This record gives sequence, C-alpha cells and structure tokens, in this order.
Amino acid sequence: MSDLDRAIAQLRACRLIPETQVRELCYKARELLIEEGNVVSVDAPVTICGDIHGQFHDLMELFRVGGDVPDTNYLFMGDFVDRGFYSLESFLLLLCLKVRYPDRITLIRGNHESRQITTVYGFYDECIRKYGSANVWRHCCEVFDYLALGALVLGASSELEPTGPALNDTTQSTMPIDSGELETEVLNSKGEVTYSSYRPRQGVPSDVSTDARNISPPRDISSTTGQTPLRSGPPGTGASGEGAGSYSSRTGAVLCVHGGLSPLIDTVDKIRLIDRKQEVPHEGAMCDLLWSDPDEIDGWGLSPRGAGFLFGGDIVKQFNYRNDLSLIARAHQLVMEGYKEMFDGGIVTVWSAPNYCYRCGNVASILELGEDTSNGGTVTRSNGDYERSNGIMTTDKFGVRSPGRRYRVFEAAAQDTRGMPAKKPVADYFL
Amino acid sequence: MALEVQPPSDRKRVKVYELRDNDWFDRGTGFCTGQILDDEPRIFVESEDEPDRVLLETKISKDDGYQKQQETLIVWTEPNGTDMALSFQEAEGCAVIWNFVNGAQQQLTSMATAGFPLDDAFSDDLESYQSIMLPAPELGNLPDIDHVMRAASMTQAGRDALSKFVIREEYIPKLIPLVAVAEDLESLPDLHRLCSIMKSLILLNDNTIIETVVTEHIILGVVGALEYDPEFPTHKANHRQYLADQSRYKEVVPIKDPLIRHKIQCTWRLQYLKDVVLARILDDPTFSVLNSLIFFNQVEIVNHIQSNGPFLKELFSVFDPRSADAKRKEDAVQFLHQCAAIAKNLQAPARANLFANFISHGLFAVIAFTIKHPNPAMRTTGIDILVALLDHDPIMVRGYMLKAVNEKKTPLTDTLIDLLHMESDLGVKNQLADAVKVLLDPQVPLQDTMGRAGPDYSKPRPNIISDVFVQNHFDESAKRLFIPLKRLENRASLNDITFQEVALHAHLVDILTFFVRQHLYRSRAVIHNEGLAPRVAQLLTVPQKHLKLIALKFFRTLISLQDTFYQALMTHNNTFGLILDIVYETMPRDNLLNSACLELFEFIKRENIKPIVLHVVEKYGEKLRNITYVSTFQDLILRYDQMQGYGTEVEPTLYSQDEGTPARRVPPNGQRWQGVREMDAAEEEYFNTSDDEEEWQHDNGANTTMATEMQNGSASPVVKPLVDYPDDDEDDDAMDTKAEGSEEQTQQPSAQQQVTSTPDAAAESAVETPSTPVSSTVQVPPERLSEKRRREEEDDDELVKLSSGPKRRSSTSSNPGSAGMLAKKRSVSIGSLAAAEKGATQNVLGTVTGSAAPKRIAINISSKPSSETDYPDSAASTPNSEKENRGENHGESG
Repeated sequence: MSDLDRAIAQLRACRLIPETQVRELCYKARELLIEEGNVVSVDAPVTICGDIHGQFHDLMELFRVGGDVPDTNYLFMGDFVDRGFYSLESFLLLLCLKVRYPDRITLIRGNHESRQITTVYGFYDECIRKYGSANVWRHCCEVFDYLALGALVLGASSELEPTGPALNDTTQSTMPIDSGELETEVLNSKGEVTYSSYRPRQGVPSDVSTDARNISPPRDISSTTGQTPLRSGPPGTGASGEGAGSYSSRTGAVLCVHGGLSPLIDTVDKIRLIDRKQEVPHEGAMCDLLWSDPDEIDGWGLSPRGAGFLFGGDIVKQFNYRNDLSLIARAHQLVMEGYKEMFDGGIVTVWSAPNYCYRCGNVASILELGEDTSNGGTVTRSNGDYERSNGIMTTDKFGVRSPGRRYRVFEAAAQDTRGMPAKKPVADYFL
Repeated sequence: MALEVQPPSDRKRVKVYELRDNDWFDRGTGFCTGQILDDEPRIFVESEDEPDRVLLETKISKDDGYQKQQETLIVWTEPNGTDMALSFQEAEGCAVIWNFVNGAQQQLTSMATAGFPLDDAFSDDLESYQSIMLPAPELGNLPDIDHVMRAASMTQAGRDALSKFVIREEYIPKLIPLVAVAEDLESLPDLHRLCSIMKSLILLNDNTIIETVVTEHIILGVVGALEYDPEFPTHKANHRQYLADQSRYKEVVPIKDPLIRHKIQCTWRLQYLKDVVLARILDDPTFSVLNSLIFFNQVEIVNHIQSNGPFLKELFSVFDPRSADAKRKEDAVQFLHQCAAIAKNLQAPARANLFANFISHGLFAVIAFTIKHPNPAMRTTGIDILVALLDHDPIMVRGYMLKAVNEKKTPLTDTLIDLLHMESDLGVKNQLADAVKVLLDPQVPLQDTMGRAGPDYSKPRPNIISDVFVQNHFDESAKRLFIPLKRLENRASLNDITFQEVALHAHLVDILTFFVRQHLYRSRAVIHNEGLAPRVAQLLTVPQKHLKLIALKFFRTLISLQDTFYQALMTHNNTFGLILDIVYETMPRDNLLNSACLELFEFIKRENIKPIVLHVVEKYGEKLRNITYVSTFQDLILRYDQMQGYGTEVEPTLYSQDEGTPARRVPPNGQRWQGVREMDAAEEEYFNTSDDEEEWQHDNGANTTMATEMQNGSASPVVKPLVDYPDDDEDDDAMDTKAEGSEEQTQQPSAQQQVTSTPDAAAESAVETPSTPVSSTVQVPPERLSEKRRREEEDDDELVKLSSGPKRRSSTSSNPGSAGMLAKKRSVSIGSLAAAEKGATQNVLGTVTGSAAPKRIAINISSKPSSETDYPDSAASTPNSEKENRGENHGESG
C-alpha cells in the first residue's frame, strides 16, 4: 500500500493526514494541475458534481450513490471548502484521489477556492483549528490557484444506458429506456431508489419550473400525489425541453463551470487566454466564470453578489450555439431539488451538498452523462492538440443534440454514519 | 356584525401539510374553500378521496401570521402552535384563497379597532404572554414545559415573557438536577426533552440567560442535557468530558483577579457552545449574541492584562536567557500568540495599547527568540505574532526597525532575510516571505509615522526619518534579500537547481513582483543596480514549471506597468525570446504555462504597447509567424504592420487604455493593486533628488521618436535595439529634442501623463465601449438594472460584503498571513471596520443596559454584516420577505 493509498484510506475515515503529507500532496497536485488547460477536456462517461462545502459525510454519500473512484469518473465543479465543518478532509480527499487517479477525477475551481473567501467562510478557521497554523491553508490556497476554470465534456451519449454499477439493480425500475433522455432517480440514504422518472425529450412540453430556491413544503402537487413525499418535496420538477430540435448522430459538448458565463467570454477558446494562476479577481472574465448566475432576464444583469453577472436565456442560447455546446452545467446556487434546468435545458445547476449548512433541508444531486459509443468512442474535439479554432466559428450548427442526462438525487448521509457535525474545539487555552 | 368578505365561489385543489418534528407531514390532498360560518371566516379543506372527511378546518383570526410563499403556498401557525401549510395546485387558486384570508383579516382588524369585541384572542394573548408560566421543573412536566416553550418562542412577545420568567424564577438551575435524575433512570425520552428545552432556552438569545448558562455550576448540567440530541437518537456527545477537563486551561503566569479568571473560563465555554454544542443549530441572532458576549469578555481580559504591569513583567521574565525552563517559554509564546489572535478582533486603540505594552516589555526580543527556535512550530508561532503586529500597524513596526538601523543594531529585517534564505521548513519560509514583503513594502509613506503616533504610544518611536534614509534602508535590505537571485548569474544551467532553491527563488521573485507593483520608482534602483531582471529571465528556463510561471508573472507585471524603464529592461535582454521559447515548448498543448504566455502576448496586443510590439516583431518575427494555432501572434504582426503604415490606419480607439482587462485591474495573488497612483510627496522628493528623472523622460522621448520614425515609413525595419537605456545620455538628449515637434499627440499617452491622469482615465474607460477584440463582439452588461429583484438564496456569497463590512466577529479566527491580505485588512481596519465595530458595540451595549425595544435593533445591526446569507436567517428579519418565511421554518427546526 503506497503512502498515497494510505492517506486516502485515512481521509476516507475522516481522519486528517500530517502536515508534511499535506504539503507533499499539494506539490504533487500542483505538478499535475499545471499541465491542465484552463478548460479541461473530459471524455464521457462522467459524473458531474456541484458544491460540496466541506460536508465530508455527504461527499461519502455521494460516492456511495454515484459509485466509487476510480470505477466512476468524476468532475467536481468547485466549492469544496467553507461552511461545512470538514472542508479539510473533503478537499484533501478529493486532492488525493486526483493525484492517485488523475484521469478519473477532474477538479475545477469554485469561487470559494480563494484566499479571501476562505478567510471569511470557515476554511481558514478550520485549518487553524486542526493544524494550529495557517500553513496548510497556504498550501491549499496555492493549489487553488492552479485549478482549472472549466471543463468540456465530450462524447456524451444522447441516450441513457441502464443504470450503472453503483446501485443494486433490483431496487430500481427496470423499465426499458428507449429514447428517453432525462432520467431522475431519487435515492434514500441506503442507496435505494425511492422514485424514478423518465422523460422522453421529444415532444415534452417545456415546463420551466418556478423559483425553487425557497425552503418550503412541496408545491408541485400534481406530479407528486401518491408518491412518498420527501421532506422538501420531490425533485425532478425542473423541466426540460428540446433546444436544437433536429436529429444528428452527435451531441454537442457540455461546458462545466462553477458560476456561469462572462460578457468577456464569447467562445470557449477565449477562456484559454486567461492566466488563471492567481487569486480569484474581483472582476473580469475569470471572476465571472466563478461567480455569475443564470436568471430569468434578457441579456446581462448586475449580480446581487457583487461579483460576476446575471445572464439570461438568450445569452445561454447564443453561447451554446456559437460554441457547439448542448448544455452548460454549473453549480454555485443552492437548489432545493438538487438540480434545476433552465432555458429549455440549455443550462443546469447541479448542487451536491444535501441539507446545506446542516439545516437547509435540501436534497442534492449528481449528473451522469453516458458515453456515446456510436462513433466507436471517438470524439470530435480534444484538448487543444489540434484544430483549436482561431475565432472563426463554423456556421453549420444544426443537429447538436442534448446529451442524455441522469440525475441521481440523494439526501444527507444517515446520521448514524456521521455523528453530530461540529467544529473542532481548541485543545488548550490560555485566555 | 356581518363580515363583508366575499368567500371564494369554487373549490381549489390543494395539499395540506403540517409541521411535525421538523418535517412537513402530508395530511392529504383535497379541495379548499373559504367560508364564513357564524360570522367567523374559516378555511375548509375536504378530502379528495373521501369527500366526507374534512382535512382542515381553521378559523382565520386577525393576528395569525398568514404568509404567502412563492405562487402556490400559504403558511401559517395555528393557535395551538402547529405550523400548517397549504400547497395549491395552481397559483390562481392560491391567489383566491389568499385574497379571502387577507380580506377577512383586514375586516377583523378594523372591527377590533372600532371597539367590537369580536375576537378577544389578541388581549388574551397579551395577557398570557405577560404572565407566562412554566410548569414546575419536574420530570413529569417535561413534555408540557417543552410544549409551552415552543409555543411561546413563536413570537417575540412570547420570547420576552418567557425570558423574564426563566430569569425571575431562576428556572435553569432548577432544571439542572433533572438531567442527572433522567440519566439515572436511563430515560432517553426525558433526556431528549431536556435537550430541546435547553436548546429553546439558549435560542431565546437573551444575554442574561446565556450568561447564566455558562456559569460554573450550571454549564455542565446544560451541556449534559445537550448531549442527548433527539435529532441524533443513537448518539451521545461528550461535552461534559471536554468542559470538565481543568487541565485544558494553562496558566503561564497566574492571573490573580478572580473576576478575570472567571471571564476567561466563561469565554472558553461560550466558544465551545458556539463551535461545538450549538454549531448546527445557531441562528443568526444567537450567534451574534454569543459573539458579543465573547467579544466583551475578551476586551476586559485584554484590558486587564495590558494594564497589569507586574503580570507583564513576570510574563516576559520567562524569556530570561538564564532561565532554562524551555516548556514554560513555549507556553509563554503560546500565551502571547493567543493574545495577539484575540487582539485582532478588538478595536484599534485597545489593540494598540496591548501591543505597545507588549513591545515595551520586550516583545521583539521574544519574536527574535522564537524565529531562531529549533522547533518549526515555534518559529511559525513567532512569525504569526510578528504578522499580527504588522497587520495592526506596519508603520510602527517599520519605525522600530529603522530605529534599530539608526542605532547600528541589526534590524529585524536583516534577521528575517537571513532566515528566509536558510529556512528549510517550507511553511515557515512562506510566512517569512510574507513578513519580509510587508516589512519592506516600499509603498507606505513614512511621513505618516509621526502623524499617526498618538501621545500615548509614540514614545518608543523614532523621530522623523528622512525619506533618503528610508530609501537607503530599502535599498540595503533589498540588496541583501536578493543576493541569492543575483548569484544565479554565475550558473550556466539551472537544470540542477535544488528543491530548496526553487522554493527560495519562487518567494524572492514573488516579493520582487510585489515591490515593483507597489512602488515602481523605488524598486527601479534595486532592479537596475543588482541587475535582477536578467536573473529572473534566467528562471524562465528552469525545469520547474511553477517557478517559470512565477518568473513569467514578474515580466507580465512589468509589462502591465507600461513604464518605459521596465519596457527597456525587457526589450534589452532576450526576455521575449525566452518567453517565446516557452510558447514553443508548450504549444499547441493547452496548459497553464501556455495560457499564461498567451495572456501576456494578448495583453501586449490589446494594449497596443508599441515599443514591445516593435521589438518583438522585429526581433522574433520568424518565431511569431510560425505560431499559428492561435491568432494572437499573427495579430501582433498585423499591429506592427499597421504601425509601419502598411495596413489600414489604426483606429484611434486602439490607443485608449482598456481598463476592462482582468489582469490589469486585478493583481495576481490577491495583492492590492492601487493603480498607478498620483505621486505622493515622498515620490516627488525621490524624483527631484534622483537622476532617474532625466533618464525617465528621455525614455519617453526615445520611445515616441522611435515610433514616429517607424510610422514615417522606413521600409527596412530598424534592427538595432530600440531603446538605449540607460547608458547613452547624449543620444537620448538628441532624440528628446527631435521628438519635440513630432506627432506625439496621437501617440499613446506618455507614462507621465498616465501617472497623473489615471483616476479619470479609469473612470472613462469604465464606461467606454471596450475596443478590444475580446469584448467587442459581446453585449455590454447594463450599468444598472433597477427593477431587478434581489434574490434571496442564503447560499449567496456576496463579495461586496467581504470588502465593505466587518466579518462576523469570531474570537478564534484570525487574519491570514499573506501579505496581500495584510495590506487589505490594514486599510479596512483603520477605517470602516473600526467604525462598524464601534457601531455594533454601542448597539450591543444597548442590549445589556436598555429595554426590550433597543434589543431588537441591536441584534439586527450586530448580526447584519454576517447575515449575508451565511446562515439561514432567523425569525427576526423583516416580515413579509421571502427570506423571513423561510427563516421561520428554520427557526422552528432549531
């Protein structure tokens, strides 16, 4: 068993590794991340995850639901730290897995992967508590600076395969999936499917869900009557529609980014022109990618967050069209149902921190994109090695299909697996 | 009296929910109607499946807090304290019932004020709140106690009445014995009830109650009950074990005042409550009450310590070199460290007093002791204390340092620099680099030293230090600091560079970059005299990519300054050749190093920095032409051609500064960027006394002249170096004169113009349409979107708040060590933070002494800076906002 495997085992048990090991880990991670582009290319199949926020036990739950590394490929869209009480364990475990299985796991930067934000929202404090000095925080922040800003998932299938190996197949519906493209499975804490639904993409009326950000009893009663209600209502009410319409053999790429779009970025290639090795700036393209939010507006709007922008459906449509994208996956906003598609399925928010802050009562989700095997596994784009566009986009865009999406919705880890979450108290005190 | 509200005519399909144990229990689906029976407005829901079954029948009273949430929800609390919700299938149905409820309530209210005794629930409520009674504290009554408390906690009036009762009857001490009894009986239900009772008591967030809770005889009972959380039925925490452990309290030097000792213990318990026991359930008001209590205790503790001369004397005598008690020394360092950490949360004057007293008792000697300590953890702690000092007042620390230089003692800076060179622990090295960065920050105007020194703590300060002296010290220190960098000159290859060297050079180049950005003039001499730029350029060739990146960042910073001196430095050497080599090595791979290079050339292109464009295209034209995988380099050549008059005439907008570029506006690594500032007096003086001025102007002349010559259309590109800096005075002079009558006006503004006009320029460019290729094709975001609703998610991180308001005062948190943060915090703490803290302080003081009315205000204000959706809001927020609605749901779950 290598040191790294031992560190992984230790972290999985929610026990920290020594400071020297953290440092080595961070250096190794740095060497890996420096080779990654600002936009990492990732081949399907991959499971896309949103904010984690130091909820270590829920991260373990996520792995239970989605399958373990390296059996499942993962893409985490940032915000690993802050707010939860186990930011260190969560981030270090993900980093260990990254170093151990570099091709199996992709980490991109969230707005919380920043010196300034972590000093306010808990990660800095946690490092001081758990290691006695800010050194580990410094090492981690150094790694933050190297994290990629986005990822492009290529070769996603437009059809869903039967549920992967992560689950006990007997617990789920075995209804054959024809050309259904959107599937939702609700899992309880034992990993059993308690609810599942399919939506054939074609002909499904677009039902843009209303604001889902409030904590409240379920509101969509028409679709839930008869189901066992979850505490905060059934997920899957976020609807979808067809964006491009016509058929083709391929799906467009899926852009994954923590926040959203930027008015300074009109093509994905522009992201490659950012020198990302820096603290997240307060404005500019890099800031926007990590801070922006989609909203039901036209064009761009000011963000109430004070950083980034709000962007409307027209912006998303235009950007996706221009960049041959079928979907933008992003995180950054709490969604009570775990995920929420907007703008005719042009963008989705994936949120992976159940019962956020240990009190919000939301469910979480992960998004699985299957592999398109119809072309023998070849993909039409790769990591910039060839045919990087020189700003002139081809105009023939018809036939980009949305990828098949399987959302696995899950709840917070069962309480018997995690104990009572709390911060680490000081060992000694003088004052 | 007949009600005139028109009940809705048809039935609305709806689901009925009831809040049970924090879960919304589904009572069934049915059809909702509003009716008036016996002159009382009511809501009925009949079951869908069994039409005879009534799912809900409730009377609408004028005081019930009905709330409409989103489009389809109505939520309220029944008189018996149960939370109910109606979830409508359609928004339209919800609106109809909502109108009915609203109308009925308005009618009832107007009738009540008109003197109709229609509904006496209100006066009943008032009375019952004023005289709220809890059943006697006995095990058998626990369910009732729990119930009454929950119900009373719903409203502010109830909470106030409950608090009064609990305090008056000394209820908490009477509850405590029940914990032991229930434990003896192993009665888990009772323990669970006790736990929720304790939670409710604490969440009343009454100062007196919380202070009672943490007293010696009460605390163990309270946390004992809290060990049995009904939400974790299979778990039992061990709070008592932790809090009962007396050995956790270390006393280096005994604190004799019993009151202070008491406060220290209470503070520790409060922190434990906040961080561990209540970590999950704290709402914002309680959080801020806890923080205020901790804060005021700390103020008193620190005040006691700093004014206690004998105590300080004994404390610092621990470090007497003759004493061999190493453990005690370490503990004393820890003690000081904790003091410094606490001081960070205090207001500036209190902090200043503490530090001044520490310093006069020999704090610097202690720091010197720690940073030479063989144990890296001690070194870390020592530097942390130093960083806290720097964070508090860098000018003061610098003053002491310069005083030492004046007295021909070894200044702290030299010690730190030497240690930085030798330190092998990378964490400590990092801290040292940060400390050196701030200590030597060339930006800070020294004149301020005197102005800021108050009469109380200015005594140990040196008198006016001349700027020349400061410059000398900076030069000397910088010279010492960059020796290792300078030594690279003798190395032919950097392939054998060691791990430690890589770390050191990374820090040195980073510091150098910081200096250049902070004060380009003061740094010039160092860079020039020590010949540092070529050394950094050498680092572009190391195998370690992250070091390459740091070197690249240095040059990127030089370019962004648009200063002719630095431009000359880069065009003089083969710097761009080395950078292009990196592009070649990495292309067309998409990685960080490649992107960083591309960004650098994009910036040159976008800003149209002529001397560099000319230099690069002329010298490396072939290399550029061969890079075709991105358009950047071809664009550069195009720019060049345009300058030569080959291409189409360059649009005038290209000359404008584009402040919209992210890299320009925001410095790397979060360090502050203050722009090219107007010259302050020190700089002015520096200019007047320095020969650089001449050279500097010459550069401009040379620059524009050269550009002019090019434009005038010399067919063969000039091959000789563009700028002969700095050795060719006569030549420059000649060029200078030549430039006089040329078309300078159309050129890019000279560096000097930029210096003086930056604020305006920045403002202008903020509104002007970006002319850069990056942004020209996209929609420009609107300046203002007034009708945009504010969104209310609690997960919103708001950047504005980070910089504009103080963060939630947390006694255990401390400022980060990075110099960038130091700089930032410094400016905040002097200005807005201090003011805001003061405001909060006064308000909370109001809580302690004042009546009930100011309390609400105090809570709101003091919690405001942190209520940035960090924690779900509590019921104390404004009514009728969405946030409030959700907050209430939370409040109950707590």
